[in-house]
Amino acid sequence: MRTTSLTTKLLSLAALGVMAGPLQAQEGRQVYEQKCAVCHAAGLAGAPRPGNAADWGPRLRAGKASLYRNAIQGTMRGMPPKGGNPDLPEAAVRAAVDFMTATVAAASKPAARPEVARKPAAQTAPAASTAPVRQAVPPAAAPVAAPAIAAPEAAAVAAPAPVQVASASLALARPEPGSGAAAANAFNRLLRPPGKRNLPPAEDGIHDPAVDGTLQLQPPLAAFGAMPRSNAGNRVDWVKALAEGKIAPRWERDKADAAAVVMDLNIVREVKGSMPDVVYPHKQHTEWLDCSNCHPAIFVPQKGANQMSMAAILLGQGCGACHGRVAFPVSECRLCHSKKKDGVAAGSAAPQAEAHR
Amino acid sequence: MMCSPARPWRAAMLGAALALAALAAGTRAVRAEYGDVVMNAYSTEAGMRPVVFPHWFHRVRFRCKVCHGDLGIKFQAGGNQINMLKIIDGQFCGACHDGGVAWSVESCNLCHSGKPGLPTQVHESTIQKLTAPGQKQAGSAARK
Ligand code: HEC
Ligand code: HEC
Ligand code: HEC
Ligand code: HEC
Repeated sequence: MRTTSLTTKLLSLAALGVMAGPLQAQEGRQVYEQKCAVCHAAGLAGAPRPGNAADWGPRLRAGKASLYRNAIQGTMRGMPPKGGNPDLPEAAVRAAVDFMTATVAAASKPAARPEVARKPAAQTAPAASTAPVRQAVPPAAAPVAAPAIAAPEAAAVAAPAPVQVASASLALARPEPGSGAAAANAFNRLLRPPGKRNLPPAEDGIHDPAVDGTLQLQPPLAAFGAMPRSNAGNRVDWVKALAEGKIAPRWERDKADAAAVVMDLNIVREVKGSMPDVVYPHKQHTEWLDCSNCHPAIFVPQKGANQMSMAAILLGQGCGACHGRVAFPVSECRLCHSKKKDGVAAGSAAPQAEAHR
Repeated sequence: MMCSPARPWRAAMLGAALALAALAAGTRAVRAEYGDVVMNAYSTEAGMRPVVFPHWFHRVRFRCKVCHGDLGIKFQAGGNQINMLKIIDGQFCGACHDGGVAWSVESCNLCHSGKPGLPTQVHESTIQKLTAPGQKQAGSAARK
């Protein structure tokens, strides 16, 4: 398919950009500092911190071979294959794993973070910032649900609810969409007369009204009634609906109470011209998605490392893999372009960072 | 509408896109729910109606991660080669539609409820509006 080959091209372009500099040294520490520290130094989303016995102990019991394999192939819980660097030789990945685990036995205090782990994080982050600037959210404060990964036993005792409670206080600074379908919206040209939205299956033009199944399906409005409305897409605000507890979609297929692994990290992408800058919020995304849904297939996990443009998004690349298909559509410019040029966040960036202290 | 003066071609593209979208929205007879996926890689060939997958219904009940992470369903309409054999084997839809988490495959017509012959596509998507105001997108093109 055309869009797929475009994706490949865009991705390889992005990859070229990142991989352009040949690996200076294969030595574990250097690989760690360049490729792994961004997540592992601060324990982002539960990434085990180097030299931290509590983080590594249970994992080491599974054997080095298993660690190597997971580092190379990635895990469902957030470790991207090779840390998101497909071109990294396997030996280099193994060396980095060796480096991260080498000091574990020597570390006297399990919870202490060795100095070596913190420095590289501070060094790598600015190095990557060519154009976009990250909001002042220290990575250490990011992983809301990190303990759930680092210590499964502890998480099992504590009820895994608080994640959503936290988000409830983060009402997003954006105009209220109005109480119902009649909300007027000046810039959205895709507005449809209210009577032609959220039609029941038998009238939506794609279901066959002659089939008995069609008539048994739930009409959208029967579900959307109690949910906060929006001006586009399904015309419900999915982010708000989740934050306010109007819906309780499962995080695990067969467990009703498993909590999402939420990470609060905003990435600001500066936009040339008069359009406000884009604030990409990890928080709202990780309420719905797993790190591996985006990293590394759609985005290399490094701020500024990915080529983005509206043209690509309209064609279904990058943010357009979801926005304009299932997540809110591209017509909602302000939801993405939420940061005014003068540095004042028009979106939700600042209150979010505070809410998690 | 605010657009970057530094990149006029992009602004033009965007304008064209929005105009197209408005046009498409105004003229199409289909008023599907945003994100509804018609799946017709094999159905019509096999004498069945196409399948309609409602994203909205599933989002009320499950986060995206369950299907797109745990079950490995790719973000690509028609890109997953889902067929009845795999479903009965417990893959894709069959991970839940097994009479356990959700109703089982015996209720054929709840899924196979699309109008005959509809092509595979995500309804109300940007791509649909850009490329198929008359819904001419080829279903087979979506197959990999
Ligand atoms: C985008 C963030 C990110 C980057 C970059 C990253 N990791 Fe990870 N890594 C994680 C997370 C999150 C986990 C915890 C996931 C889990 O428990 O499976 C993890 C877990 C691991 C584990 C433990 C796997 C296990 O079986 O328990 C190893 C080993 C590892 N990473 C190695 C690396 C190496 C080597 C690099 C650099 C080449 C790297 N990681 C880069 C996020 C990252
Ligand atoms: C919806 C897609 C999406 C999901 C899900 C997602 N990310 Fe990201 N991530 C991004 C984007 C976009 C960027 C910015 C890339 C850029 O600027 O080029 C990014 C950047 C990053 C960075 C780089 C930060 C920096 O300062 O360089 C890290 C680390 C990261 N993500 C880790 C994670 C982890 C861990 C998870 C899971 C808890 C996760 N991401 C989930 C889209 C996503
Ligand atoms: C899903 C999020 C999202 C939505 C919705 C969105 N944009 Fe963007 N936009 C982006 C991103 C990401 C970039 C690239 C930023 C960068 O260069 O890093 C961008 C860039 C731009 C640019 C700069 C030129 C270019 O093409 O890259 C303009 C102009 C722009 N957007 C206008 C709009 C307008 C007008 C709308 C509403 C019709 C809109 N955007 C909706 C995410 C979005
Ligand atoms: C893998 C799918 C996916 C990708 C890729 C993705 N998003 Fe999202 N995004 C979502 C979902 C799902 C939501 C929840 C809201 C919804 O569904 O409308 C969301 C919500 C958001 C929100 C929060 C809106 C609010 O009401 O708080 C913003 C802002 C946003 N996305 C911007 C972006 C930008 C910018 C990019 C690209 C850098 C991007 N997204 C890429 C799936 C995605």
